Amino acid sequence: MIDFAIPELDRLLIETVRKFITNEVQPLEPEVEERGELPEAKMRALRQQAQALGLFAMNMPAEVGGGGLSTVETCLVEEELGKTSDALIRRIFGQVYPMLMACRDAQIERYLLPTVRGDRICAIAITEPDAGSDAAAIRTAATFDDGAWVLNGRKHFISDGDVADYVIVMAVTDRDKRTRGGITLFLVDKGTPGFTVARRQPMMGHRGYGHAELVFEDCRVSPDCILGEPGEGFRLMMQSVSAVRLAHIGARSVGMAQRVLDLMRRHANERVQFGQPIGSFQFVQQMIADSAIEITAARLMVLNAAWTIDQGQDARDKVSIVKVFASEMLGKVADRGVQVFGGSGYSKDLPLERIYRDARVTRIYDGTSEIHRMLIARSVLRDGLRL
Amino acid sequence: MKVLVAVKRVVDYNVKIRVKADKTGVETANVKFSMNPFDEIAVEQAVRLKEAGTATEVVVVSIGPAQAQETIRTALAMGADRGIHVQTDAEVQPLAVAKLLKAIVANENPTLVIVGKQAIDDDCSQTGQMLAALLGWSQGTFASKVDLKDGTVAVTREVDGGLETVDLKLPAIVTTDLRLNEPRYASLPNIMKAKKKPIDATTAEALGVDIASRLITLKVEEPAKRQGGKKVGSIAELVDKLKNEARVI
Repeated sequence: MIDFAIPELDRLLIETVRKFITNEVQPLEPEVEERGELPEAKMRALRQQAQALGLFAMNMPAEVGGGGLSTVETCLVEEELGKTSDALIRRIFGQVYPMLMACRDAQIERYLLPTVRGDRICAIAITEPDAGSDAAAIRTAATFDDGAWVLNGRKHFISDGDVADYVIVMAVTDRDKRTRGGITLFLVDKGTPGFTVARRQPMMGHRGYGHAELVFEDCRVSPDCILGEPGEGFRLMMQSVSAVRLAHIGARSVGMAQRVLDLMRRHANERVQFGQPIGSFQFVQQMIADSAIEITAARLMVLNAAWTIDQGQDARDKVSIVKVFASEMLGKVADRGVQVFGGSGYSKDLPLERIYRDARVTRIYDGTSEIHRMLIARSVLRDGLRL
Repeated sequence: MKVLVAVKRVVDYNVKIRVKADKTGVETANVKFSMNPFDEIAVEQAVRLKEAGTATEVVVVSIGPAQAQETIRTALAMGADRGIHVQTDAEVQPLAVAKLLKAIVANENPTLVIVGKQAIDDDCSQTGQMLAALLGWSQGTFASKVDLKDGTVAVTREVDGGLETVDLKLPAIVTTDLRLNEPRYASLPNIMKAKKKPIDATTAEALGVDIASRLITLKVEEPAKRQGGKKVGSIAELVDKLKNEARVI
C-alpha cells in the first residue's frame, strides 16, 4: 500500500513551526509592512529562538549544522513558513542555499558553516539587466590576470544583495563555451574593492527585504574564491535550484494560499449581508471551493516532486510543473481572497493586500511561468509526460 | 530519581466532537488525535525536573492502540528518555489504567509519578487518585506548582477557595493543572533524537492486569441544543423573570 500519511514526528515538527509562526512571527508583519524595514533587535532575538529550536537552515545536512530534513520534510515545513512574509522567513529561519555544499577547504569555514549558523548572509547573483529568463546570456565576465580573477559587470534584482555578507556571482569565464564549461561561480565578499551595491530597487511587494543592483568594476578575487569547478558554474546552479524552487515557490505558495483560504472561510461564515452569512451565497462558495481544489492539487504536486527528489531521481520537469501551477494558483487564491473580503480585502488593515502583492512575483522569479511552460512542453514533446 | 509520566492519546482539543449515529460513543474516525493537554504539562514538568538535575530519567507510559506510540514519541521529542507502550484496543477505564500503572510502577520503581489531572475526552479525573490509593502513596492533585525537596515534594494545589500547599512524602503522585507550566515547542534536534529513543511494548496480560470494564456505557448523546435568549425590557422585568420563571433568586 502506498502510504500518504505524514509521520507523527514530522507532524510534530510542523506543529512546532506553525505555533512559532503564528505566535512569534505573524505579529511582526504589520510593522514590517509599515516601515519597510525589519526590526533588527527583534529579528536577532527571534532568530536565536528559532536556532535554539533547531529551526534555522533546516534544509541543510546535519553534518554541517543544518536540520537534516529530507526534501519532503523541508517542503512540509516551508508550507508553514509560507504563512508569513518572505522578508521575515529569510532572517528568522535562514536562507541557506544547498549549493554551498560545493564549498571546499577554507571555503567551508569561511562561507558554508557561518551561513548555516546564521552569522553570514549569502545572496546569489545571476540576473542582469540583459539576462533575465535567458540566464546563459549574462555579460558579467571574469578574466584571469596576474594570479587573480577580475570581475566586471552588473547584476540586478539580487534578493538580499543589500544585506548579504557575500555574494555568489555567476560570471562568464569562457565566451566560446558559455554554458558548456564557460560559466563559473565566484564567492565575493562584501567590501571587496571593485564590488559595490549600487542601489536597492523598489518593488511592488516584499517590503522588508531588498532586491539590489550590484556593480563589479575590476573586482579582483583570488582563485580560491571559485565555488565548485571552474567552468561548471551553470551546471552547479541548475542542479541545486530545483529543490530550492520547489520549497520556496511551490511549498510556500501552498502555505500562503492556505492562509488566505482560512481568512476567506472565517469571513464567509461571519460576515452577514442580506440577513445571512455571505458563505451561503453560491458566488462566494465557488471562490472557496475552487481555492480548496487548487490548493489541494498544488500541495500534492509539491509533495510528490519532493519525494521524487528524495529518491534521487530527476525531478526537473515535476518542479517546473509545480512552479507554474503553485504560483498561478496562489495568484488566483489571493485574488479571490481580496474579492471575498471586498473593501476590507483592499485595505491595508488585513494581510490580504500584502499577500496579493507579494504573490505576484512568484510567477516571475525563479523562472517565469512562460520559461517553465516552454521547458515542460519541450520535455513532453520529446519524451511524453512521465509520471 | 526516576520520574514516570502517563500520557493519553485523545481527540484533539480543536476538533468539534460529534456523537456517533448509533449513540455508542463519539466519532473517532478521520479525527485528529493528540496528547491530552494536561499530560503535555506533566511531561513538561518532568523534563524540567530532569533539566534542573533533580530527575535522572523520565519514562513515559501510554495505554492504548498502536497509534498511542505516536503520543509517546511526542513526549520523547519534548525530552523524555524512553517509553512504555501498553498495547490494547479495548476501552480502558480509569481503574484499569490505575492498575496497569501500578504494575508498571512495580517494574520501574519511580520516585515520582506525574499524570494530567484529567483527560479531555472523558473528563474522569480519577486515574491519579486511584493510583495513589492502590499504591498507598501520597498524592498532590491539581498542581499549579511543584517543588521537590529532599525526600518530600511541596505541591501547590488549585482548590475552590484559592491555593493550598501540601508537603508530600516521596514517593508520590502529582496530577497537573493548567497553570503549572507552559509546554515547550518540540525542537528539531529533539524530534530527530526521539526517532531513536526506545519504546518497550507490553500488554495488560503480560503485566497480569484484568482490564475488563466495570462500567457499561448505555448511551452517548449530544448536549441539548442551546435555546435562543429573550430580550427583557427593564430590570424589573428581568428580576421578575429570574424570580418567577427561572426561579433562581
